Amino acid sequence: MKKTLMGNEAIALGLVHADVDMVSGYPGTPSSEILTTVQKLQKQQDLELYAQWATNEKVGFEVAYAGAIAGKRTAATMKQVGLNVASDALMSASYIGNLGGMLLVSADDPGFHSSQTEQDSRVFAKFAKIPVLDPATPQDAYDLTRYGVDLSQEFEIPVMLRPVMRVCHARQIVEVKSEHDFSPQKGEFQRDIPRWAGVPRAGRFKQGEQLLERVEKLERYNWEHLLKPEFDKCKGGRVLILAGGTGYGFAKEALEDMGIEADVVKVLMPYPLPVEKIKEQFADYEKVLVVEEPMPCIEEQVMDPKVHGRLDKTMHQIDEMSKVYIQEAMRKLGLYEGKDLYPANPFKEQIPARPPNLCPGCPHRDVYYSIMKVFKKKKSIYPSDIGCYTLGINQGAIDTVLCMGGSVSMASGFALADPDKYVVATIGDSTFFHGGIPPLINAVYQKHKFLLVVLDNSVVAMTGRQEPPQRQNKEVDIVKVAEGCGASTFEYVYDNDMNKTVDFFKRMKEEYDKADGPVVAVVREFCVLDKEKASEQLPGEFVTVNEDDCVACDQCTTVFNCPPMSYNEKDKIEIDPFLCVGCGACLNVVCPTDAFVLDEKRGK
Amino acid sequence: MRYQVVIAGFGGQGAVFLVKVLALCAGNKNIECLGTENHGMSQRGGAVSCFIKLGDFSNPVIDTYQADLLIGLEADEALRNMQYLKSGGIMAVNAEDDFPAADVYTDVARVDAFAKAKAGDFPIQGLNVYMLGVAARNDKNFPFTLEDLKEAITQMNAKVAAQNIEILEKGYANVME
Ligand SMILES: Cc1ncc(C[n+]2csc(CCOP(=O)(O)OP(=O)(O)O)c2C)c(N)n1
Ligand code: SF4
Ligand code: SF4
Repeated sequence: MKKTLMGNEAIALGLVHADVDMVSGYPGTPSSEILTTVQKLQKQQDLELYAQWATNEKVGFEVAYAGAIAGKRTAATMKQVGLNVASDALMSASYIGNLGGMLLVSADDPGFHSSQTEQDSRVFAKFAKIPVLDPATPQDAYDLTRYGVDLSQEFEIPVMLRPVMRVCHARQIVEVKSEHDFSPQKGEFQRDIPRWAGVPRAGRFKQGEQLLERVEKLERYNWEHLLKPEFDKCKGGRVLILAGGTGYGFAKEALEDMGIEADVVKVLMPYPLPVEKIKEQFADYEKVLVVEEPMPCIEEQVMDPKVHGRLDKTMHQIDEMSKVYIQEAMRKLGLYEGKDLYPANPFKEQIPARPPNLCPGCPHRDVYYSIMKVFKKKKSIYPSDIGCYTLGINQGAIDTVLCMGGSVSMASGFALADPDKYVVATIGDSTFFHGGIPPLINAVYQKHKFLLVVLDNSVVAMTGRQEPPQRQNKEVDIVKVAEGCGASTFEYVYDNDMNKTVDFFKRMKEEYDKADGPVVAVVREFCVLDKEKASEQLPGEFVTVNEDDCVACDQCTTVFNCPPMSYNEKDKIEIDPFLCVGCGACLNVVCPTDAFVLDEKRGK
Repeated sequence: MRYQVVIAGFGGQGAVFLVKVLALCAGNKNIECLGTENHGMSQRGGAVSCFIKLGDFSNPVIDTYQADLLIGLEADEALRNMQYLKSGGIMAVNAEDDFPAADVYTDVARVDAFAKAKAGDFPIQGLNVYMLGVAARNDKNFPFTLEDLKEAITQMNAKVAAQNIEILEKGYANVME
């Protein structure tokens, strides 16, 4: 049956068709739609399965992994930086293995479209010595998902599926199984203490030896089942192209564009590789070009004087794949002398950037505005974290961004290093649960003085509004958590009257001055795009500008920066009625001359 | 057949919707299709660009100087993505009359769709579909008919199809010389 699917939907359908009935993950672009699609399929087809967001990737991985130890078929989903968080568990899981099947889906983002780093999860798989599959298209993603789960069960080791953004967010007409009788495996834990609880040195040493054997078996398997059939189709010639994942599609098209015929071998499993077998094939060619992204994973394994790629700078070093890089590589290798097929003729003038901004009406904006009003920039350090609220950077309200949860530990570090300044850290609710709690405990017991503002909008907004823990179960409460950690904790329910928000932070400053450890302020907000809550929270106070009062002081367009506000041809601020959501926040405090007034025409 | 389309705009303009419509049209005609959308920051008003490649292709990304058609939902975003157009391609753009069409190296079909929406010709949320109509009418190589597009829009969501089809037809009525 043919279906138009996005890569992530194809992976989700593949999981269901592989009888996976435990999926646990943490949101992160470009991976998030995998788990939400499994949840959709669960509803549509009334499937009995577990598909839930974990508090972070390590937790997600471990839940799924235990399921696979107990004999089930499971999956963990995350983005590539999430794998850093789950890596501790992964490194040991590869030694111990599993009885059911476990697919670890780690989505990469070459080109930094929505990620802090351009790291390559395949390299991580190689580091952990687990097999990894690299799909080129949504069709591959569907096929390799099913294949990977089987492989994991057969070899008793977690298998990684590594789609890149251009697979996750690609759309294609995919051939899928039309009927599937969902039959998950029964979970039945079998006690085997030496295996499931192997301890160093003897226990783990033995598992280490077994792991090496498994890798060798997988190399042979890779050759027999995946690579040999590909090489059997090859004709030999001046150049062999070894292509991983999306590299395959780019290479095929680029060669056709250049009018070059060459063998292109698709490497579906870039680790572990049967290196000797592959190198034997090089005899039929003058040169070998490896096309893969974003790091040289295949290339490092098959290093040879004939091999070119990223290591010797024949291919590009950073940013996502593009056919022009293959054209240039072929030129460097003396295999293409034609004209540039991909000339770039950009518009002659610089086009203003369109940086993302907090939505009109987003409560995060008011909080940042108030923090800056009370804790002056010159006397403060503003560490922040990762989420929609990072866009407070447009207001000048953020000094540092590192990784999820980093704001809290960095607040400790800044408090120690520069004690004369106020340290005001901001973190979202999902980020707090993900990585903010251990550093808060650290700060409490060591008495580090800072203000931690938890921006609790009860959604994981940045990644598409998944549900955080407290949304599904009210028992989980950030105030109680922070109090439980021993921090002096305060709560403020967002009010669109900015005077109240500023007053709250004035109070927080008094508390800060008195405190001898961290002060936590939990701000209860909502997200404008959260349909369930926004309609009742947005008051319908649409705003317009009293032009006579506007003195063009820039306050509203810099420190507040709500998208509908811009200068008109008379150099007065104007509010775009299409963009304004009527939150009414700018009616107070924001304008020093009170030029913002209620738009009587739109009423309340 | 091979035909490549870039759709450029900013978050909230519904570029991805157009990708889905074109993918459905392709499916209905048994034409292969590969597309990709970059929607990382789109919801927060950032720039969005989508690619859709119809016919026998093996990767979803469009390289510079390859696209047959660029649908620009906004003037700056159209210019930012201009380099994807091949010579002989066409840009269908929503822009005011000061748009520097002379500096674009392909044909340009320009309509001030923001003004039309403000004047009440169609609801602003329908701007994507309106521009699809403009593109379909003015690109002589456009691979689908008006009927094909209507069919796909109905498949997307039968309930709201009538309104979208009306907007599509309004866009389609714009003939450039
Ligand atoms: C380790 C890691 N996992 C996942 C992500 C993707 N990610 C970016 S922001 C974010 C969550 C933000 O949610 P929240 O803290 O509630 O803030 P909001 O966006 O709602 O303001 C996630 C999961 C990441 N950047 N790093
Ligand atoms: S999506 Fe929600 S949290 Fe993110 S900027 Fe918009 S309103 Fe704020
Ligand atoms: S009322 Fe003011 S702050 Fe709220 S969305 Fe409109 S312009 Fe922005």
